[in-house]
Amino acid sequence: MDARWDLTAIDGEPVDSAALEGRALLVVNVASRCGLTPQYEGLERLQRSYGGARFTVLGVPCNQFGGQEPGGAEEIQAFCVATYATSFPLTEKLDVNGRRQHPLYAWLTSAPDGDGRAGEVEWNFEKFLVAPDRQGITRFRPAVEPDDERVVEAIEALLGE
Amino acid sequence: MSDVVTMIRAGDVSVGDRVRTANAMELTVTRVDEEFMGRPNLLALVEDSEAQWLKVAAPRDLELELISRASEREN
Repeated sequence: MDARWDLTAIDGEPVDSAALEGRALLVVNVASRCGLTPQYEGLERLQRSYGGARFTVLGVPCNQFGGQEPGGAEEIQAFCVATYATSFPLTEKLDVNGRRQHPLYAWLTSAPDGDGRAGEVEWNFEKFLVAPDRQGITRFRPAVEPDDERVVEAIEALLGE
Repeated sequence: MSDVVTMIRAGDVSVGDRVRTANAMELTVTRVDEEFMGRPNLLALVEDSEAQWLKVAAPRDLELELISRASEREN
């Protein structure tokens, strides 16, 4: 399983892959104008509880679902910080499905969810929990809240807590 | 140029129809997913093409602007 990808941060700078190495990742495609946007609160709670050398949330802005992330990089970043005081990193806006799907998502969407369904991201705020050694992906569909006990338990299991 | 806008219920959209949403997203539907997120009253219209991958969720009775019908373009 090839689990290496080049990512660009929302400020246009390359994401320091070394900074992500060895950390569990909760990768989430985010959008600013979705009914699920308040999930940013739960994502930030996870970041404050578990974020550090061994874990981070990684937000991936995406405009492929209802056109609910139409803004530019500065607008997205300002919205997240001003509305939800987010502290976790965001990538540049990416395609998570389709013919221009980013390689990160080609890899992530090969993982099945709890019902055994792999493939396309269903909607905004789908969550992929990636093990620090990149050998495991646990997938949670958009309706699963970030602080749902299934997500928390999976994070704590990865971190050995 | 005609100013007439034709509307269509989301539940009546067929593959090949081109529609515009209230937030001005346009798509040529290549797939209709019924019971979006397990909700019988919701569906999702998907364009999976070279031009774009876009998914729009809508209640079945929501009216969308119909830009063209597949059957019209075929004639």
